[in-house]
Amino acid sequence: MNNMTAAANPIPQNGKATTVKKTFSRETSVSIAIKADPAIVWALLTHAADYPRWNSTVISIDGKIAKGETIKLKSTLAPKRTFKLRIKELELEKRLVWGDAQGNRTYTLTPQGNGTLTFTMNEKIGGFMFPLYARYLPPFDESFEQFAADLKKEAEAIQKSGK
Amino acid sequence: MTPAQFTKEFEAVSGPLKSYLLRITASVADAEDIVQDTYLKASEKIDSFRGESSLKTWLFAIASNLAKDNARARKRWTEHVTDVCKEAALSDQQFFREAMRIRTTSPQGQFEMKEHITFCFTCIAKSLPLAQHLCLLLKEVYDFKVHEIARITDSTEAMVKYYLHTGRTKMIHIFEGRCALINKQGVCHQCTELNGIFNPKQKTQEELVKIEMVREAEKADKERLFDLRMQVVQGIDPFESGAAELQLHHLAHNRKVMEKYLEKNSD
Repeated sequence: MNNMTAAANPIPQNGKATTVKKTFSRETSVSIAIKADPAIVWALLTHAADYPRWNSTVISIDGKIAKGETIKLKSTLAPKRTFKLRIKELELEKRLVWGDAQGNRTYTLTPQGNGTLTFTMNEKIGGFMFPLYARYLPPFDESFEQFAADLKKEAEAIQKSGK
Repeated sequence: MTPAQFTKEFEAVSGPLKSYLLRITASVADAEDIVQDTYLKASEKIDSFRGESSLKTWLFAIASNLAKDNARARKRWTEHVTDVCKEAALSDQQFFREAMRIRTTSPQGQFEMKEHITFCFTCIAKSLPLAQHLCLLLKEVYDFKVHEIARITDSTEAMVKYYLHTGRTKMIHIFEGRCALINKQGVCHQCTELNGIFNPKQKTQEELVKIEMVREAEKADKERLFDLRMQVVQGIDPFESGAAELQLHHLAHNRKVMEKYLEKNSD
């Protein structure tokens, strides 16, 4: 886990995760620069069945990543659990939010105008019951960093491919 | 462009167009129907052709659009298609009788390993999602550029790159796991098994070493092996080759088996 000041500062685009812990919530973020077309990154983020091929933190995602749909996600962080998550927001090539009653995962793409975009991933878990189960939650930092690194590697490989 | 010029240019493209549509639909009749529909549609719209792309690209775009509405094109097979269809063929005397008849009587009934490699690619590629399948065929078999494929499939270059990358990666993964020609642990030996049936006097190993992909199997990486496989596919026209009738008979069999399989296994 990292320090408590991350939320107050912009997230550095270095692929390093930061976590802010509070009494009733925990928030982890990672940001990384990716030299690829937003459509490519968006395609990777929204093709559920394809995740395990490129993302080493995901075991499987069943379902369709479309607004209002529910997906079933299995992650390497908790391989025995299946998370049922609803797609809450979906703004083409900009923003994707999925989550459940405990929290939300938000993906944001911000074009930088030079063929590069900033990918940011944030997950906030919390609520009045949070202190009861907080200690059982594994840290997300390493998994977030791996997710961002995998996405960057795959998107940039696709960007460079083809003629 | 005069109607006569258009017809002449269409004829020059119709061969590749028909094989492309066969590979998408796995049906000779559907491929021929879509070629005809493409001609009719293109004739109607020829005045709107501004030469922003080549005529070939424009015709492939019309054909691809028509193919997307074709039920057999939309049907996606399983990557284990060769296992499923082999099991069905083994209990189908009629299939083998007809295959042997073609083998002995047809000028296009020669079984060749390269032909079967091409046939196998056609079947397994039908397990890809349609968008990936179209992009992969257009790039790897018909040699279109990414910007041309974007025009043909009415997509963006970025999405074409995504579909190409994912389609190619999946196909490499499937062949790497299954194809005994490139992986000694591969579970599928169908081309050599069928060669033993159709060409019993031929020495299979001698035939295999004629294929560059097989010769390089141990030293080349998986990307190179896929490129070599695509060279084999590019070199064979499924309607004109020496094994065309035999392989089309086999393809029709696999299509029927897969249609039943998909119906049985649909939710």
